Amino acid sequence: MVEVISRVEVPIACEDDVVVVRRRVRVLAGQRQLDSFAVAAVTTATSELVRNVFVHAGGGKAILEEVTDGTRYGLRATFIDEGPGIDDLERVLRGGYSTAHTMGLGLSGSRRLVDRFEIETEPGKGTCVKIEKWAPF
Amino acid sequence: MDHQKYLKLLRFDEAELASRRAFFKVGDEDLKRLADLRAFAEQHSDAVIDAFYEMLLGHAETKRFFPDEAAVRRVKRLQRDYFLGLFSGRCDLEYVQDRLRVGAAHERIGLSPKWYLGAYRQYLALLRTKLLADFDAERAELCAQSLERLVFFDMSIAIDTYIAANVETIGRHQHAIRELSTPVIRVHDRILLMPLVGTVDSLRASQIMETLLVRVVDEKARYVIIDIAGVPVVDTKVADSLVKTTSAVRLLGAETILTGISPPIARTIVQLGVEIVNMHTRARLQEGIELALELAGKVIVDRKPTG
Amino acid sequence: MIGSVPILRIGRTLLLSIQLELSDAVAETLQNDVLLAIEKHGTSSLVIDITGFDFVDTYVARILAETSKMARLMGTETVIVGMRPEVAATLVRMGYTMEGVRFALDLDEGLGLLGHVIAR
Ligand SMILES: Nc1ncnc2c1ncn2[C@@H]1O[C@H](COP(=O)(O)OP(=O)(O)O)[C@@H](O)[C@H]1O
Ligand SMILES: [Mg+2]
Repeated sequence: MVEVISRVEVPIACEDDVVVVRRRVRVLAGQRQLDSFAVAAVTTATSELVRNVFVHAGGGKAILEEVTDGTRYGLRATFIDEGPGIDDLERVLRGGYSTAHTMGLGLSGSRRLVDRFEIETEPGKGTCVKIEKWAPF
Repeated sequence: MDHQKYLKLLRFDEAELASRRAFFKVGDEDLKRLADLRAFAEQHSDAVIDAFYEMLLGHAETKRFFPDEAAVRRVKRLQRDYFLGLFSGRCDLEYVQDRLRVGAAHERIGLSPKWYLGAYRQYLALLRTKLLADFDAERAELCAQSLERLVFFDMSIAIDTYIAANVETIGRHQHAIRELSTPVIRVHDRILLMPLVGTVDSLRASQIMETLLVRVVDEKARYVIIDIAGVPVVDTKVADSLVKTTSAVRLLGAETILTGISPPIARTIVQLGVEIVNMHTRARLQEGIELALELAGKVIVDRKPTG
Repeated sequence: MIGSVPILRIGRTLLLSIQLELSDAVAETLQNDVLLAIEKHGTSSLVIDITGFDFVDTYVARILAETSKMARLMGTETVIVGMRPEVAATLVRMGYTMEGVRFALDLDEGLGLLGHVIAR
């Protein structure tokens, strides 16, 4: 059973928030005994997902949580927006597809960097991506 | 043994203490009731503990934890402290710290929770008999209930600590395995060799990449030889992870040479359609080392026969 | 903010040593400034030192790769130096291998790769 130790909500309203949110994640991840590779992974994934909220959905919010399952620590980040949603999720998750003429590796790449990746999206309603990165034993 | 560490690991603070005491219904009146039994406890401690060890020594699987008389005497002394602790009238963080020891110590010797759950039950049964013999039924029942609450509270701590200690042990083992499974050898100036032996699963593949990259930067390596002659099966996943490792090594400014490519591995790689354009490959390690030296601008020459 | 990313010129080489975390906007501006500097000074090589980055996402990686390719079109060879192990692992895991860009371990190596030898 996963227990939440701390929780903060950060708005994503302007471009600088990409920096703000990923910085907070990096600090939290460092505190939670994640090794340097895991810290880089979760910080990078966060950077991608916050940027998506800002660029593709025009804003939203991030919820950052420190979690534990009683034996290990982890970091959970949830990115929520009420933007246009993603039409062809399957295609986006395969990677290399972008509606913004950028890399198209944000979602598919983030997914490979974390221990847990969940996405819910509904065209016209919005998108919610949840990731978790756990400290190794 | 660092009990503070376990307190921290289990995040056992005042709030957790209060919540757990509430859940196990360990109230102040229970502690008071038990404290009042101090004389009773001291009077019976030897008998209870002797009976307790008779049970443990009478069971083959638990007996082996007590190799000799001296060991039994030692644990009996510890057991006495534990036992009297139940009647100390306290259940604070210091008390918890004391209880944490039980689980940690048992994990260390490999005594799993099933045995001490049975032992705790025996404790309660023995004490109940003594209580009923010494006091009227009503008081005996109340005391037995208080005791039960505190003993179950103790059990929860012992099990939590056992698990935490176990996770830690696993972590240590994994660390040792990791070092063994991702060896990196410096074969020459700025040339590293990683000889892989055994199965490569996804966890190991990722450790291979991380270990190698760190060493490349630490040693300022220019060339990295990965020898896969000792890897029994190279499937898509393994091939893919090798390609990824090579790509990552390139981003650092070094080059990878993959050696130990047997005919079946060559076949697999081609049939899988894995892109290996940017990779130097050789059949044998020796050729890989020669190639690395050549790329580094060095040559191996036969010494001229003397005389 | 851009003031804190100095573009140094050593002979026909430009050296860009990025020590701070780049926001998306700053990264774009930086790319522009570098290209302008190449045009102005007629350089033949560009070294981008990213030792200071403890993570690089696909956005910044793309800008770095594009800058390198644009510089090449202008006759300037680029080498990116000092990438950390964590950054390399992360980029590759995300599926971005930055093909067509050259890398070196550190500044010395980078300059060596571009045909410069620093006098010792
Ligand atoms: N939060 C979001 N809201 C709406 N669409 C999104 C969101 N995130 C991603 N997308 C869509 O998925 C595509 C791929 O996203 P991503 O993998 O991050 O690559 P990129 O951002 O480079 O396009 C985007 O181009 C966009 O169409
Ligand atoms: Mg994106």
